[in-house]
Amino acid sequence: MFLNGLEQLLRRKIVLTAVAATLVFLGLFWWGVSAAAGAEIPGNGGEEEFQAAKMLKPADAALAAVITSAPLAATLITALMIVIGSTMLPEEIDEGRMPFWLSLPQSRLKVYSLTSLAPLALSFVLALLIFGGILAITRSYFMFTPRNLLLVPVSMLSWLAVVWSAVILLSLLVRKVAAMLIAFFLTAVSSLFGGLHEIMRMFPGEAPPLLESITRAVILLFPADRGYRGVLYGIIPSDAAITENLAFFGVTAGVPALQLAYALFWSLVLLALGYWRFRRMDF
Amino acid sequence: MEKNGILWVREVSKSYRRVRALDSLTLSVERGSAFSLLGPNGAGKTTLMKILLGLVSSDSGEVLMQGIPVSSPASRTGVRYLPENITFPQWASPLVLFRQMERVRREVSMDQFLVRCAELECSELLRRPVGRMSRGQRQRVALSLVTCGDPVLVLLDEPSSGLDPGGRILVRNLIGNLSRMGSTVLLNSHLLGDVERVCHTAAFISRGRLVAMGDLDSLSRHTGLVMVETGEPERMSAALFESGYSCRQDQRGLAVELDESADFGTMVRAVLDTGIGFTGVNRKRESLEDVFLRIMGDEAMEKDGGKGKRECS
Repeated sequence: MFLNGLEQLLRRKIVLTAVAATLVFLGLFWWGVSAAAGAEIPGNGGEEEFQAAKMLKPADAALAAVITSAPLAATLITALMIVIGSTMLPEEIDEGRMPFWLSLPQSRLKVYSLTSLAPLALSFVLALLIFGGILAITRSYFMFTPRNLLLVPVSMLSWLAVVWSAVILLSLLVRKVAAMLIAFFLTAVSSLFGGLHEIMRMFPGEAPPLLESITRAVILLFPADRGYRGVLYGIIPSDAAITENLAFFGVTAGVPALQLAYALFWSLVLLALGYWRFRRMDF
Repeated sequence: MEKNGILWVREVSKSYRRVRALDSLTLSVERGSAFSLLGPNGAGKTTLMKILLGLVSSDSGEVLMQGIPVSSPASRTGVRYLPENITFPQWASPLVLFRQMERVRREVSMDQFLVRCAELECSELLRRPVGRMSRGQRQRVALSLVTCGDPVLVLLDEPSSGLDPGGRILVRNLIGNLSRMGSTVLLNSHLLGDVERVCHTAAFISRGRLVAMGDLDSLSRHTGLVMVETGEPERMSAALFESGYSCRQDQRGLAVELDESADFGTMVRAVLDTGIGFTGVNRKRESLEDVFLRIMGDEAMEKDGGKGKRECS
Protein backbone atom coordinates (compact mmCIF):
# COMPACT_ATOMS: atom_id res chain seq x y z
CA MET A 1 0.00 0.00 0.00
CA PHE A 2 2.86 2.33 0.87
CA LEU A 3 4.60 1.81 -2.46
CA ASN A 4 1.28 2.15 -4.29
CA GLY A 5 0.63 5.45 -2.51
CA LEU A 6 4.12 6.68 -3.30
CA GLU A 7 3.76 5.67 -6.94
CA GLN A 8 0.46 7.50 -7.09
CA LEU A 9 1.94 10.63 -5.52
CA LEU A 10 4.95 10.71 -7.83
CA ARG A 11 2.59 10.92 -10.79
CA ARG A 12 0.85 13.99 -9.45
CA LYS A 13 1.57 17.36 -11.00
CA ILE A 14 1.73 19.08 -7.63
CA VAL A 15 4.57 16.80 -6.55
CA LEU A 16 6.46 17.22 -9.79
CA THR A 17 5.97 20.99 -9.44
CA ALA A 18 7.30 20.87 -5.89
CA VAL A 19 10.36 18.89 -7.00
CA ALA A 20 10.97 21.41 -9.80
CA ALA A 21 10.47 24.30 -7.36
CA THR A 22 13.00 22.71 -5.00
CA LEU A 23 15.57 22.44 -7.75
CA VAL A 24 14.90 26.03 -8.89
CA PHE A 25 15.11 27.22 -5.30
CA LEU A 26 18.45 25.48 -4.78
CA GLY A 27 19.72 26.85 -8.10
CA LEU A 28 18.81 30.39 -7.12
CA PHE A 29 20.30 29.87 -3.68
CA TRP A 30 23.54 28.65 -5.23
CA TRP A 31 23.62 31.66 -7.52
CA GLY A 32 22.98 34.07 -4.62
CA VAL A 33 25.54 32.48 -2.30
CA SER A 34 28.21 32.32 -5.01
CA ALA A 35 27.58 35.98 -5.86
CA ALA A 36 27.76 36.95 -2.18
CA ALA A 37 30.97 34.99 -1.69
CA GLY A 38 32.77 36.96 -4.37
CA ALA A 39 31.31 40.36 -3.51
CA GLU A 40 33.22 43.26 -1.97
CA ILE A 41 31.73 44.64 1.26
CA PRO A 42 30.21 47.99 0.30
CA GLY A 43 31.06 51.13 2.26
CA ASN A 44 32.75 54.48 1.97
CA GLY A 45 36.16 52.94 2.52
CA GLY A 46 36.66 54.19 6.06
CA GLU A 47 39.13 52.49 8.38
CA GLU A 48 36.39 51.46 10.87
CA GLU A 49 34.35 49.67 8.23
CA PHE A 50 37.46 47.99 6.90
CA GLN A 51 38.27 46.68 10.37
CA ALA A 52 34.66 45.51 10.90
CA ALA A 53 34.71 43.69 7.59
CA LYS A 54 37.96 42.04 8.51
CA MET A 55 36.32 40.72 11.72
CA LEU A 56 33.55 38.91 9.78
CA LYS A 57 34.20 35.22 9.47
CA PRO A 58 32.82 32.79 6.84
CA ALA A 59 30.50 31.35 9.50
CA ASP A 60 28.79 34.73 9.87
CA ALA A 61 27.99 34.84 6.16
CA ALA A 62 26.89 31.20 6.32
CA LEU A 63 24.55 31.99 9.20
CA ALA A 64 22.94 34.78 7.18
CA ALA A 65 22.55 32.51 4.16
CA VAL A 66 20.99 29.66 6.16
CA ILE A 67 18.68 31.86 8.23
CA THR A 68 17.30 33.74 5.22
CA SER A 69 16.72 30.65 3.08
CA ALA A 70 15.35 28.22 5.69
CA PRO A 71 11.89 29.84 6.11
CA LEU A 72 11.32 29.73 2.35
CA ALA A 73 12.34 26.09 2.21
CA ALA A 74 10.10 25.31 5.18
CA THR A 75 7.15 27.06 3.52
CA LEU A 76 7.61 25.02 0.33
CA ILE A 77 7.79 21.71 2.19
CA THR A 78 4.88 22.56 4.49
CA ALA A 79 2.70 23.63 1.56
CA LEU A 80 3.46 20.42 -0.31
CA MET A 81 2.74 18.31 2.75
CA ILE A 82 -0.58 20.05 3.32
CA VAL A 83 -1.72 19.71 -0.29
CA ILE A 84 -0.79 16.06 -0.78
CA GLY A 85 -1.68 15.06 2.76
CA SER A 86 -5.16 16.53 2.56
CA THR A 87 -5.97 14.78 -0.72
CA MET A 88 -4.36 11.37 -0.27
CA LEU A 89 -7.14 9.52 1.59
CA PRO A 90 -10.11 11.57 0.27
CA GLU A 91 -9.12 10.85 -3.34
CA GLU A 92 -8.85 7.12 -2.70
CA ILE A 93 -12.29 7.27 -1.08
CA ASP A 94 -13.99 9.57 -3.62
CA GLU A 95 -12.76 7.62 -6.64
CA GLY A 96 -13.97 4.31 -5.26
CA ARG A 97 -10.54 2.76 -4.82
CA MET A 98 -10.70 2.60 -1.03
CA PRO A 99 -13.48 -0.06 -0.95
CA PHE A 100 -11.40 -2.01 -3.40
CA TRP A 101 -8.27 -1.90 -1.20
CA LEU A 102 -10.27 -2.64 1.91
CA SER A 103 -11.89 -5.66 0.28
CA LEU A 104 -8.47 -7.31 0.14
CA PRO A 105 -7.36 -9.40 3.13
CA GLN A 106 -5.69 -6.62 5.08
CA SER A 107 -6.72 -4.66 8.13
CA ARG A 108 -8.06 -1.12 8.06
CA LEU A 109 -5.14 -0.04 10.22
CA LYS A 110 -2.69 -1.27 7.61
CA VAL A 111 -4.53 0.44 4.76
CA TYR A 112 -4.85 3.67 6.74
CA SER A 113 -1.30 3.86 8.01
CA LEU A 114 0.49 2.74 4.85
CA THR A 115 -1.58 4.92 2.53
CA SER A 116 -1.14 7.92 4.81
CA LEU A 117 2.57 7.32 5.21
CA ALA A 118 3.36 8.10 1.57
CA PRO A 119 2.94 11.92 1.88
CA LEU A 120 5.14 11.95 4.99
CA ALA A 121 7.87 9.93 3.31
CA LEU A 122 7.82 12.09 0.21
CA SER A 123 7.89 15.36 2.15
CA PHE A 124 10.68 14.04 4.36
CA VAL A 125 12.84 13.14 1.38
CA LEU A 126 12.17 16.50 -0.24
CA ALA A 127 12.96 18.31 3.04
CA LEU A 128 16.23 16.40 3.34
CA LEU A 129 17.02 17.37 -0.23
CA ILE A 130 16.29 21.06 0.22
CA PHE A 131 17.88 21.54 3.64
CA GLY A 132 20.78 19.29 2.66
CA GLY A 133 21.19 21.40 -0.47
CA ILE A 134 21.18 24.62 1.54
CA LEU A 135 23.82 23.17 3.86
CA ALA A 136 26.03 21.81 1.08
CA ILE A 137 25.87 24.96 -1.08
CA THR A 138 26.57 27.28 1.85
CA ARG A 139 29.47 25.12 3.09
CA SER A 140 31.01 25.04 -0.35
CA TYR A 141 31.43 28.84 -0.26
CA PHE A 142 31.67 29.57 3.48
CA MET A 143 33.29 26.67 5.28
CA PHE A 144 31.68 26.01 8.66
CA THR A 145 30.72 23.17 10.93
CA PRO A 146 26.96 22.69 11.54
CA ARG A 147 25.91 22.86 15.17
CA ASN A 148 24.20 19.50 15.38
CA LEU A 149 23.62 17.50 12.22
CA LEU A 150 22.28 14.51 14.13
CA LEU A 151 19.47 16.67 15.45
CA VAL A 152 18.31 17.56 11.92
CA PRO A 153 16.56 14.34 10.78
CA VAL A 154 14.87 13.83 14.14
CA SER A 155 13.68 17.44 14.26
CA MET A 156 12.58 17.26 10.64
CA LEU A 157 10.57 14.14 11.35
CA SER A 158 8.86 15.68 14.38
CA TRP A 159 8.07 18.88 12.46
CA LEU A 160 6.66 17.10 9.40
CA ALA A 161 4.90 14.43 11.46
CA VAL A 162 2.85 17.03 13.33
CA VAL A 163 1.74 18.76 10.10
CA TRP A 164 1.15 15.40 8.41
CA SER A 165 -0.93 13.83 11.18
CA ALA A 166 -2.99 17.02 11.54
CA VAL A 167 -3.75 17.24 7.84
CA ILE A 168 -4.58 13.51 7.58
CA LEU A 169 -7.01 13.83 10.48
CA LEU A 170 -8.55 17.01 9.04
CA SER A 171 -8.97 15.41 5.62
CA LEU A 172 -11.17 12.74 7.23
CA LEU A 173 -13.27 15.27 9.10
CA VAL A 174 -13.85 18.12 6.65
CA ARG A 175 -13.67 18.77 2.93
CA LYS A 176 -10.29 18.86 1.20
CA VAL A 177 -10.16 22.63 0.76
CA ALA A 178 -11.23 23.24 4.35
CA ALA A 179 -8.61 20.75 5.58
CA MET A 180 -5.93 22.61 3.62
CA LEU A 181 -7.00 26.03 4.90
CA ILE A 182 -7.17 24.89 8.52
CA ALA A 183 -3.79 23.20 8.26
CA PHE A 184 -2.21 26.31 6.71
CA PHE A 185 -3.73 28.42 9.48
CA LEU A 186 -2.43 26.09 12.20
CA THR A 187 1.10 26.01 10.80
CA ALA A 188 1.14 29.79 10.37
CA VAL A 189 -0.01 30.30 13.96
CA SER A 190 2.52 27.74 15.17
CA SER A 191 5.33 29.47 13.28
CA LEU A 192 4.31 32.91 14.55
CA PHE A 193 4.16 31.87 18.18
CA GLY A 194 7.27 29.72 17.79
CA GLY A 195 9.14 32.87 16.77
CA LEU A 196 7.62 34.81 19.65
CA HIS A 197 8.72 32.05 22.01
CA GLU A 198 12.31 32.47 20.85
CA ILE A 199 12.14 36.25 21.35
CA MET A 200 10.64 35.76 24.80
CA ARG A 201 13.58 33.53 25.67
CA MET A 202 15.87 36.46 24.84
CA PHE A 203 14.06 38.76 27.23
CA PRO A 204 12.69 36.59 30.01
CA GLY A 205 9.96 38.10 32.13
CA GLU A 206 9.43 41.10 29.86
CA ALA A 207 6.56 39.78 27.75
CA PRO A 208 2.95 40.20 28.96
CA PRO A 209 1.94 37.08 30.94
CA LEU A 210 -1.09 36.56 28.71
CA LEU A 211 1.09 36.44 25.59
CA GLU A 212 3.43 34.00 27.31
CA SER A 213 0.49 31.78 28.23
CA ILE A 214 -0.90 31.87 24.68
CA THR A 215 2.52 31.08 23.26
CA ARG A 216 2.94 28.13 25.60
CA ALA A 217 -0.57 26.90 24.76
CA VAL A 218 0.07 27.10 21.01
CA ILE A 219 3.33 25.18 21.38
CA LEU A 220 1.52 22.53 23.38
CA LEU A 221 -1.44 22.27 21.04
CA PHE A 222 0.40 22.33 17.74
CA PRO A 223 4.12 21.72 18.26
CA ALA A 224 5.14 21.78 14.58
CA ASP A 225 7.38 24.82 15.00
CA ARG A 226 9.61 23.08 17.58
CA GLY A 227 10.73 20.56 15.00
CA TYR A 228 11.38 23.25 12.39
CA ARG A 229 13.53 25.18 14.90
CA GLY A 230 15.42 21.97 15.57
CA VAL A 231 16.23 21.66 11.87
CA LEU A 232 17.33 25.29 11.72
CA TYR A 233 19.47 25.12 14.85
CA GLY A 234 20.98 21.88 13.65
CA ILE A 235 22.40 23.32 10.43
CA ILE A 236 23.53 26.79 11.53
CA PRO A 237 27.29 27.20 12.08
CA SER A 238 28.66 26.11 15.44
CA ASP A 239 31.03 29.04 15.46
CA ALA A 240 32.03 30.03 18.99
CA ALA A 241 31.31 33.74 18.49
CA ILE A 242 27.78 33.01 17.27
CA THR A 243 27.09 30.69 20.14
CA GLU A 244 28.42 33.24 22.62
CA ASN A 245 26.33 36.01 21.08
CA LEU A 246 23.22 33.88 21.14
CA ALA A 247 23.96 32.85 24.73
CA PHE A 248 24.30 36.52 25.62
CA PHE A 249 20.69 36.96 24.58
CA GLY A 250 19.69 33.89 26.50
CA VAL A 251 19.05 31.82 23.37
CA THR A 252 20.57 28.38 23.39
CA ALA A 253 19.87 27.87 19.68
CA GLY A 254 18.63 24.41 20.45
CA VAL A 255 15.38 22.60 21.02
CA PRO A 256 15.11 20.36 24.09
CA ALA A 257 14.86 16.69 23.13
CA LEU A 258 11.73 16.44 25.26
CA GLN A 259 9.96 18.98 23.05
CA LEU A 260 10.81 16.95 19.95
CA ALA A 261 9.63 13.77 21.62
CA TYR A 262 6.44 15.55 22.64
CA ALA A 263 5.85 16.64 19.02
CA LEU A 264 6.29 13.04 17.83
CA PHE A 265 3.95 11.80 20.54
CA TRP A 266 1.41 14.47 19.60
CA SER A 267 1.51 13.40 15.96
CA LEU A 268 0.82 9.82 17.05
CA VAL A 269 -2.18 11.04 19.03
CA LEU A 270 -3.55 12.89 15.97
CA LEU A 271 -2.87 9.86 13.81
CA ALA A 272 -4.72 7.62 16.26
CA LEU A 273 -7.68 10.02 16.19
CA GLY A 274 -7.59 9.86 12.40
CA TYR A 275 -7.62 6.08 12.54
CA TRP A 276 -10.52 6.11 14.97
CA ARG A 277 -12.47 8.16 12.43
CA PHE A 278 -11.34 6.01 9.48
CA ARG A 279 -12.29 2.78 11.27
CA ARG A 280 -15.83 4.02 11.81
CA MET A 281 -16.36 5.14 8.21
CA ASP A 282 -18.68 3.26 5.87
CA PHE A 283 -17.39 2.89 2.33
CA MET B 1 -28.81 -22.80 7.08
CA GLU B 2 -25.22 -23.98 7.13
CA LYS B 3 -22.75 -21.86 9.02
CA ASN B 4 -19.92 -23.44 7.06
CA GLY B 5 -21.28 -22.20 3.72
CA ILE B 6 -19.23 -19.59 1.94
CA LEU B 7 -21.56 -16.86 3.18
CA TRP B 8 -23.78 -16.89 6.20
CA VAL B 9 -25.88 -13.89 7.11
CA ARG B 10 -28.21 -13.92 10.09
CA GLU B 11 -30.64 -11.21 11.19
CA VAL B 12 -28.55 -8.39 9.78
CA SER B 13 -29.90 -4.87 10.01
CA LYS B 14 -28.43 -1.60 8.89
CA SER B 15 -29.82 1.93 8.92
CA TYR B 16 -28.49 5.11 7.40
CA ARG B 17 -29.91 7.84 9.58
CA ARG B 18 -33.66 7.28 9.15
CA VAL B 19 -33.45 4.97 6.18
CA ARG B 20 -33.55 1.24 6.93
CA ALA B 21 -31.24 -0.30 4.34
CA LEU B 22 -31.37 -3.86 5.68
CA ASP B 23 -34.00 -5.26 7.98
CA SER B 24 -33.23 -8.52 9.80
CA LEU B 25 -31.95 -10.10 6.63
CA THR B 26 -30.98 -13.76 6.76
CA LEU B 27 -29.48 -15.82 3.95
CA SER B 28 -26.71 -18.22 3.13
CA VAL B 29 -24.78 -19.07 0.00
CA GLU B 30 -23.33 -22.48 -0.80
CA ARG B 31 -19.79 -22.92 -2.04
CA GLY B 32 -19.38 -23.05 -5.80
CA SER B 33 -22.74 -21.56 -6.66
CA ALA B 34 -23.50 -18.57 -8.83
CA PHE B 35 -25.80 -16.55 -6.64
CA SER B 36 -27.63 -13.41 -7.59
CA LEU B 37 -28.99 -10.61 -5.44
CA LEU B 38 -32.10 -9.20 -7.07
CA GLY B 39 -34.25 -6.28 -6.15
CA PRO B 40 -35.16 -2.76 -7.17
CA ASN B 41 -32.77 0.15 -6.70
CA GLY B 42 -32.34 0.96 -3.04
CA ALA B 43 -33.39 -2.51 -1.93
CA GLY B 44 -30.17 -2.96 0.06
CA LYS B 45 -28.21 -5.26 -2.28
CA THR B 46 -25.07 -3.13 -2.43
CA THR B 47 -25.24 -2.48 1.31
CA LEU B 48 -25.35 -6.24 1.89
CA MET B 49 -22.32 -6.75 -0.36
CA LYS B 50 -20.43 -4.06 1.53
CA ILE B 51 -21.32 -5.58 4.89
CA LEU B 52 -19.99 -8.93 3.65
CA LEU B 53 -16.69 -7.26 2.83
CA GLY B 54 -16.49 -5.31 6.06
CA LEU B 55 -16.77 -2.01 4.19
CA VAL B 56 -19.95 -1.13 6.05
CA SER B 57 -20.64 -2.19 9.60
CA SER B 58 -24.03 -3.67 10.40
CA ASP B 59 -26.10 -2.34 13.28
CA SER B 60 -26.98 -5.85 14.41
CA GLY B 61 -26.78 -9.45 13.29
CA GLU B 62 -24.03 -11.88 12.47
CA VAL B 63 -22.13 -12.31 9.21
CA LEU B 64 -19.62 -15.04 8.42
CA MET B 65 -17.61 -15.37 5.23
CA GLN B 66 -15.75 -18.65 4.74
CA GLY B 67 -16.83 -19.41 8.30
CA ILE B 68 -14.97 -16.38 9.69
CA PRO B 69 -16.59 -13.19 11.04
CA VAL B 70 -16.32 -10.47 8.42
CA SER B 71 -14.66 -8.14 10.91
CA SER B 72 -11.52 -10.25 10.45
CA PRO B 73 -9.37 -9.57 7.35
CA ALA B 74 -8.77 -13.34 7.14
CA SER B 75 -12.39 -13.75 6.00
CA ARG B 76 -11.43 -11.95 2.78
CA THR B 77 -8.60 -14.30 1.77
CA GLY B 78 -9.25 -15.36 -1.81
CA VAL B 79 -12.22 -13.00 -2.01
CA ARG B 80 -12.46 -10.52 -4.87
CA TYR B 81 -14.76 -7.54 -5.22
CA LEU B 82 -15.57 -5.33 -8.15
CA PRO B 83 -17.40 -2.20 -6.97
CA GLU B 84 -19.98 -0.63 -9.23
CA ASN B 85 -18.03 2.60 -9.62
CA ILE B 86 -14.29 2.45 -9.49
CA THR B 87 -11.91 4.95 -11.04
CA PHE B 88 -8.40 3.72 -11.57
CA PRO B 89 -5.59 6.27 -11.78
CA GLN B 90 -5.68 7.67 -15.30
CA TRP B 91 -1.96 7.20 -15.86
CA ALA B 92 -1.86 3.55 -14.84
CA SER B 93 -1.87 0.71 -17.36
CA PRO B 94 -3.39 -2.69 -16.55
CA LEU B 95 0.11 -4.07 -15.98
CA VAL B 96 0.83 -1.34 -13.42
CA LEU B 97 -2.53 -1.92 -11.74
CA PHE B 98 -1.87 -5.65 -11.57
CA ARG B 99 1.54 -5.02 -9.99
CA GLN B 100 -0.03 -2.65 -7.45
CA MET B 101 -2.70 -5.18 -6.61
CA GLU B 102 -0.31 -8.06 -6.19
CA ARG B 103 1.81 -6.02 -3.82
CA VAL B 104 -1.14 -6.33 -1.48
CA ARG B 105 -2.91 -9.62 -2.22
CA ARG B 106 0.02 -11.81 -3.42
CA GLU B 107 -2.31 -14.49 -4.78
CA VAL B 108 -2.03 -14.38 -8.55
CA SER B 109 0.78 -14.88 -11.05
CA MET B 110 1.29 -12.71 -14.11
CA ASP B 111 0.47 -15.68 -16.33
CA GLN B 112 -2.90 -16.12 -14.64
CA PHE B 113 -3.63 -12.44 -15.18
CA LEU B 114 -2.68 -12.68 -18.85
CA VAL B 115 -4.96 -15.69 -19.31
CA ARG B 116 -7.90 -13.75 -17.86
CA CYS B 117 -7.10 -10.74 -20.04
CA ALA B 118 -7.15 -12.99 -23.09
CA GLU B 119 -10.48 -14.45 -21.99
CA LEU B 120 -11.97 -10.98 -21.66
CA GLU B 121 -10.34 -9.81 -24.90
CA CYS B 122 -8.30 -7.01 -23.40
CA SER B 123 -4.76 -8.33 -23.95
CA GLU B 124 -4.02 -5.53 -26.39
CA LEU B 125 -4.74 -2.98 -23.66
CA LEU B 126 -2.10 -4.17 -21.21
CA ARG B 127 0.24 -1.22 -21.69
CA ARG B 128 -2.36 1.44 -22.42
CA PRO B 129 -3.07 4.01 -19.66
CA VAL B 130 -6.57 3.69 -18.25
CA GLY B 131 -7.24 7.32 -19.16
CA ARG B 132 -7.03 6.40 -22.85
CA MET B 133 -9.56 3.59 -22.67
CA SER B 134 -13.29 3.55 -23.31
CA ARG B 135 -15.65 2.75 -20.44
CA GLY B 136 -16.21 -0.76 -21.71
CA GLN B 137 -12.47 -1.40 -22.05
CA ARG B 138 -11.90 -0.16 -18.50
CA GLN B 139 -14.61 -2.46 -17.23
CA ARG B 140 -13.08 -5.47 -18.96
CA VAL B 141 -9.67 -4.60 -17.51
CA ALA B 142 -11.22 -4.22 -14.05
CA LEU B 143 -12.89 -7.60 -14.38
CA SER B 144 -9.60 -9.19 -15.46
CA LEU B 145 -7.81 -7.69 -12.47
CA VAL B 146 -10.47 -8.80 -10.03
CA THR B 147 -11.22 -12.29 -11.28
CA CYS B 148 -7.76 -13.53 -12.33
CA GLY B 149 -6.28 -16.56 -10.59
CA ASP B 150 -8.42 -18.96 -8.62
CA PRO B 151 -10.64 -16.83 -6.41
CA VAL B 152 -12.71 -18.51 -3.72
CA LEU B 153 -15.49 -15.95 -3.88
CA VAL B 154 -16.13 -13.17 -6.38
CA LEU B 155 -18.54 -10.35 -5.61
CA LEU B 156 -19.55 -8.42 -8.70
CA ASP B 157 -21.62 -5.28 -8.45
CA GLU B 158 -23.12 -4.52 -11.85
CA PRO B 159 -20.21 -6.08 -13.78
CA SER B 160 -21.81 -5.50 -17.19
CA SER B 161 -22.11 -1.78 -16.62
CA GLY B 162 -20.81 0.09 -19.66
CA LEU B 163 -20.31 -3.05 -21.74
CA ASP B 164 -21.61 -3.61 -25.27
CA PRO B 165 -23.54 -6.85 -26.07
CA GLY B 166 -20.27 -8.61 -26.95
CA GLY B 167 -18.80 -7.57 -23.59
CA ARG B 168 -21.90 -8.78 -21.78
CA ILE B 169 -21.52 -12.20 -23.38
CA LEU B 170 -17.88 -12.29 -22.26
CA VAL B 171 -18.94 -11.49 -18.70
CA ARG B 172 -21.62 -14.18 -18.76
CA ASN B 173 -19.07 -16.71 -20.00
CA LEU B 174 -16.62 -15.57 -17.35
CA ILE B 175 -19.13 -16.07 -14.55
CA GLY B 176 -20.01 -19.48 -15.95
CA ASN B 177 -16.34 -20.46 -16.10
CA LEU B 178 -15.65 -19.20 -12.57
CA SER B 179 -18.56 -21.21 -11.26
CA ARG B 180 -17.46 -24.32 -13.12
CA MET B 181 -13.94 -23.97 -11.72
CA GLY B 182 -15.36 -24.00 -8.19
CA SER B 183 -15.44 -20.28 -7.38
CA THR B 184 -18.55 -18.89 -5.79
CA VAL B 185 -19.96 -15.86 -7.58
CA LEU B 186 -22.21 -13.33 -5.92
CA LEU B 187 -23.74 -11.17 -8.61
CA ASN B 188 -25.64 -7.95 -8.21
CA SER B 189 -27.16 -7.02 -11.53
CA HIS B 190 -30.32 -5.54 -12.95
CA LEU B 191 -29.80 -7.43 -16.21
CA LEU B 192 -32.18 -10.28 -15.48
CA GLY B 193 -31.53 -11.93 -18.83
CA ASP B 194 -27.87 -12.31 -17.89
CA VAL B 195 -28.67 -13.47 -14.37
CA GLU B 196 -31.06 -16.08 -15.71
CA ARG B 197 -28.37 -17.49 -17.97
CA VAL B 198 -25.51 -17.75 -15.45
CA CYS B 199 -26.91 -17.98 -11.92
CA HIS B 200 -28.27 -21.05 -10.16
CA THR B 201 -29.83 -19.36 -7.19
CA ALA B 202 -31.12 -15.92 -6.31
CA ALA B 203 -32.27 -13.89 -3.35
CA PHE B 204 -34.98 -11.31 -3.90
CA ILE B 205 -34.56 -8.34 -1.62
CA SER B 206 -37.02 -5.54 -1.18
CA ARG B 207 -36.79 -2.65 1.29
CA GLY B 208 -33.95 -4.41 3.05
CA ARG B 209 -35.91 -7.62 3.61
CA LEU B 210 -35.49 -11.02 2.04
CA VAL B 211 -38.66 -11.65 0.05
CA ALA B 212 -37.76 -14.94 -1.59
CA MET B 213 -34.74 -17.15 -2.10
CA GLY B 214 -34.08 -20.36 -3.96
CA ASP B 215 -32.82 -21.92 -7.14
CA LEU B 216 -34.15 -20.25 -10.23
CA ASP B 217 -35.94 -23.34 -11.58
CA SER B 218 -37.97 -23.79 -8.42
CA LEU B 219 -38.85 -20.09 -8.29
CA SER B 220 -40.12 -20.13 -11.85
CA ARG B 221 -43.74 -21.30 -12.20
CA HIS B 222 -45.56 -22.89 -15.08
CA THR B 223 -47.37 -20.14 -16.97
CA GLY B 224 -50.34 -22.24 -18.06
CA LEU B 225 -49.19 -22.07 -21.68
CA VAL B 226 -47.60 -24.55 -24.03
CA MET B 227 -45.64 -23.17 -26.95
CA VAL B 228 -46.07 -25.01 -30.24
CA GLU B 229 -43.43 -24.21 -32.84
CA THR B 230 -44.95 -24.57 -36.24
CA GLY B 231 -44.73 -23.05 -39.68
CA GLU B 232 -48.53 -22.99 -40.02
CA PRO B 233 -49.82 -21.40 -36.83
CA GLU B 234 -53.26 -20.48 -38.23
CA ARG B 235 -54.06 -24.01 -39.36
CA MET B 236 -52.64 -25.50 -36.15
CA SER B 237 -54.67 -23.06 -34.06
CA ALA B 238 -57.90 -23.95 -35.86
CA ALA B 239 -57.22 -27.68 -35.57
CA LEU B 240 -56.41 -27.50 -31.84
CA PHE B 241 -59.47 -25.32 -31.26
CA GLU B 242 -61.59 -28.13 -32.70
CA SER B 243 -59.95 -30.49 -30.16
CA GLY B 244 -61.03 -28.16 -27.35
CA TYR B 245 -57.84 -26.15 -26.81
CA SER B 246 -57.77 -22.41 -26.66
CA CYS B 247 -54.85 -20.90 -28.59
CA ARG B 248 -53.33 -17.52 -29.35
CA GLN B 249 -50.42 -16.39 -31.45
CA ASP B 250 -47.55 -14.32 -30.13
CA GLN B 251 -44.18 -13.38 -31.56
CA ARG B 252 -42.59 -16.59 -30.26
CA GLY B 253 -45.12 -18.91 -31.83
CA LEU B 254 -48.44 -20.49 -31.03
CA ALA B 255 -49.41 -20.43 -27.36
CA VAL B 256 -51.87 -23.10 -26.22
CA GLU B 257 -53.58 -22.62 -22.88
CA LEU B 258 -53.10 -25.63 -20.62
CA ASP B 259 -53.72 -25.80 -16.88
CA GLU B 260 -51.06 -27.27 -14.61
CA SER B 261 -53.50 -30.09 -13.84
CA ALA B 262 -54.25 -30.91 -17.51
CA ASP B 263 -52.42 -33.78 -19.17
CA PHE B 264 -49.49 -32.59 -21.27
CA GLY B 265 -49.30 -35.92 -23.14
CA THR B 266 -52.92 -35.67 -24.29
CA MET B 267 -52.22 -32.19 -25.61
CA VAL B 268 -49.11 -33.37 -27.50
CA ARG B 269 -51.18 -36.20 -28.97
CA ALA B 270 -53.73 -33.62 -30.15
CA VAL B 271 -50.93 -31.72 -31.88
CA LEU B 272 -49.74 -34.92 -33.58
CA ASP B 273 -53.29 -35.77 -34.63
CA THR B 274 -53.63 -32.51 -36.53
CA GLY B 275 -51.15 -33.85 -39.08
CA ILE B 276 -49.61 -30.41 -39.37
CA GLY B 277 -45.81 -30.15 -39.23
CA PHE B 278 -44.26 -28.77 -36.05
CA THR B 279 -40.73 -28.53 -34.63
CA GLY B 280 -41.33 -28.37 -30.91
CA VAL B 281 -43.86 -28.40 -28.07
CA ASN B 282 -42.72 -26.93 -24.75
CA ARG B 283 -44.37 -26.01 -21.50
CA LYS B 284 -43.73 -22.31 -21.03
CA ARG B 285 -42.28 -21.36 -17.65
CA GLU B 286 -41.95 -17.89 -16.21
CA SER B 287 -38.86 -15.95 -17.24
CA LEU B 288 -36.81 -14.43 -14.45
CA GLU B 289 -38.35 -11.10 -15.33
CA ASP B 290 -41.82 -12.58 -14.78
CA VAL B 291 -40.64 -14.09 -11.48
CA PHE B 292 -39.15 -10.77 -10.45
CA LEU B 293 -42.32 -8.85 -11.19
CA ARG B 294 -44.50 -11.47 -9.49
CA ILE B 295 -42.39 -11.58 -6.34
CA MET B 296 -41.69 -7.89 -6.09
CA GLY B 297 -45.21 -6.94 -7.17
CA ASP B 298 -45.84 -3.25 -7.53
CA GLU B 299 -43.02 -2.40 -5.16
CA ALA B 300 -40.37 -2.74 -7.86
CA MET B 301 -42.28 -0.38 -10.13
CA GLU B 302 -43.11 2.17 -7.46
CA LYS B 303 -39.56 2.38 -6.20
CA ASP B 304 -38.20 3.59 -9.51
CA GLY B 305 -41.25 5.28 -10.86
CA GLY B 306 -41.46 2.62 -13.55
CA LYS B 307 -37.74 2.69 -14.35
CA GLY B 308 -37.31 -0.76 -12.87
CA LYS B 309 -39.26 -2.45 -15.62
CA ARG B 310 -37.06 -1.03 -18.34
CA GLU B 311 -33.86 -1.97 -16.50
CA CYS B 312 -35.05 -5.49 -15.90
CA SER B 313 -36.04 -6.20 -19.47
